[in-house]
Amino acid sequence: METTLLLNTSMLLTLFIILTPILLLLLPTPLLPSPTTITHTIKTAFLISLIPTSLFMYSGSESIISHWEWKFITNFKIPLSFKIDQYSMMFFPIALFVTWSTLQFTSWYMASEPYTTKFFFFLLMFLIAMLTLTIANNLFLLFIGWEGVGIMSFLLIGWWQGRAEANTAALQAILYNRIGDIGLILSMAYLASAMNTWEIQQAATPSQIPTLPLLGLILAATGKSAQFGLHPWLPAAMEGPTPVSALLHSSTMVVAGIFLLIRTHPLLSTNQTALTLCLCLGALSTLFAATCALTQNDIKKIIAFSTSSQLGLMMVTIGLNLPQLAFLHISTHAFFKAMLFLCSGSIIHALNGEQDIRKMGGLQKMLPTTTTCLTIGNLALMGTPFLAGFYSKDPIIENLNTSYLNAWALLLTLLATSFTAAYSLRMTLLVQTGSPRTSTITPMNENTPTLINPITRLALGSITAGLLITSYITPTKTPPLTMPTLTKTAAIIVTILGIILALELSTITHTLTKPKQTPYLNFSSMLGYFNPLTHRLSSLTLLNSGQKIASHLIDLSWYKKMGPEGLASLQLAAVKTSTPLHTGLLKTYLGTFALSTLIILLSTH
Amino acid sequence: MSLLHLSFYSAFTLSCLGLAFHRTHLVSALLCLESMMLSMYIALSTWPIETQTPSTTLAPVFMLAFSACEAGTGLAMLVASTRTHGSDHLHNLNLLQC
Repeated sequence: METTLLLNTSMLLTLFIILTPILLLLLPTPLLPSPTTITHTIKTAFLISLIPTSLFMYSGSESIISHWEWKFITNFKIPLSFKIDQYSMMFFPIALFVTWSTLQFTSWYMASEPYTTKFFFFLLMFLIAMLTLTIANNLFLLFIGWEGVGIMSFLLIGWWQGRAEANTAALQAILYNRIGDIGLILSMAYLASAMNTWEIQQAATPSQIPTLPLLGLILAATGKSAQFGLHPWLPAAMEGPTPVSALLHSSTMVVAGIFLLIRTHPLLSTNQTALTLCLCLGALSTLFAATCALTQNDIKKIIAFSTSSQLGLMMVTIGLNLPQLAFLHISTHAFFKAMLFLCSGSIIHALNGEQDIRKMGGLQKMLPTTTTCLTIGNLALMGTPFLAGFYSKDPIIENLNTSYLNAWALLLTLLATSFTAAYSLRMTLLVQTGSPRTSTITPMNENTPTLINPITRLALGSITAGLLITSYITPTKTPPLTMPTLTKTAAIIVTILGIILALELSTITHTLTKPKQTPYLNFSSMLGYFNPLTHRLSSLTLLNSGQKIASHLIDLSWYKKMGPEGLASLQLAAVKTSTPLHTGLLKTYLGTFALSTLIILLSTH
Repeated sequence: MSLLHLSFYSAFTLSCLGLAFHRTHLVSALLCLESMMLSMYIALSTWPIETQTPSTTLAPVFMLAFSACEAGTGLAMLVASTRTHGSDHLHNLNLLQC
């Protein structure tokens, strides 16, 4: 009894602490909190959110808090309830830790920004929407959080409004997310009409759910989590400031789609078609993103494609019917991906705005802490044994190898793992080693604690998070325990193969071989030609068919040519032929007519 | 014949002659056409009264509808010829004939 009370109280206290800066603005005399105040607020919220997590680790207690029921119609309940289970209790401290580090970094990164407080408030509002999504018990509250993170993503990507590319990227993010929202609304409509509820526990019946609402959920995840098909917004979202990329597009917002599938996995687990679709879609996304990342030259775009690839891997895990493992990968991925973004932000500021890795080099001696943490992050991403990424990535590959599934998906995922190693190593070598290719005078300074502390904190998390989480959370499904040696070491072997290949390729760049332009290089650097093909073709087709049907067919054809004007033009042809024959002597004709009628009448009488 | 029959026969004949022998304006011919229509309407209306068949009361209504179309066409032609020739005098119509 006391455990549940403490659990609920501390969770609600965390949420209230996060809401406090916004509530202070709504007072009669508004108090405007400063950026440092907001950072300390999030730090306090993080420390308090460790209480429910440790309670869960100790006793495994979960709870549901029901607040209020929106009595909209009589027989359909829309309750506002919070679900405090292992997923929300694990996600809260991790999200708050990453947000705390990001906010501390932001006060250094955006120091020369005129509207810093507004930026902090945007980040805070994003965090509130994301936590609403996480803690929601029903799809209604989840949808509120879902839309909230979409809107905040739009505002934050287009932060520098004067830049045309930033506005285009923000619009692109909204459009692609909207296509995914259609899927979510479809599933919500199905659940409301067929199951009369929006709660997942009530909707998960042992009988089969038809495939269409599950396809809707997968479409929602494809849009929000940038799977192949609705992926172009994620690399384009790098137009936003680096703290936005670190918080939204690496750890929290993009995992919302995967989180939706984790929450609704009771519905998915019985439908093999949906699971296979998740598997193949995830495998395709991870390989495609890894291929694109191989030839990118912008450091933020490499990390963005890396995020996209890891999201594909999470989708593959969902397809294997292992939601807890997918959540573990979300948790560990948040640490090292956010750290990679923060390191790239430090490098970018140190080189006075340079984002091209071909113009970086030899930074290991000049920025020791940042580059060390960059290396740690890349090693964790590759799945180096016993760093954070290993504890989630290796079980995924092991489960892939020992399950009865689509062999093509397995092959693609293994190939993507080796590509991950290749592009991470490429980035590390080009940024840190070799002779410097930067400009001669650079404002290189990493001595500020507001920069070093977040990065080292996240580095500590990247090293220890995997071990900590797996030691304290019991898995719900038994992991595969016996397998041949080759299968057990498959992940390590493909990673090492990728590293060897990348090392070989990097030695080629030191010898004076002329770079060739092959079709594969073109495919990779043009991001698979996806953007020009879809953006131009689809809008051209839609607008063209719209013009044909609405304007040409209906307006011009039916109303004009086939109707009155066509008739008039037909008559006009005949009239023009017979006009020369007319003499126009109308009165003579009519008089003759009257006279002949009179004669006929008189003669027959 | 009865007085009723005489009235609409004579109205019809007079309008016919008026249509044939109109002097200057085209609109007077159209007016005679309208009075022909009116007398025919009255004639058609006496038919169900005399033969006591209510089903034939539809005929005058039909005639009214079609004569309205015809009057509209006539007026359109009047307006068209006035626009091109400046007035509806009939001797203008064959002015430019070669």
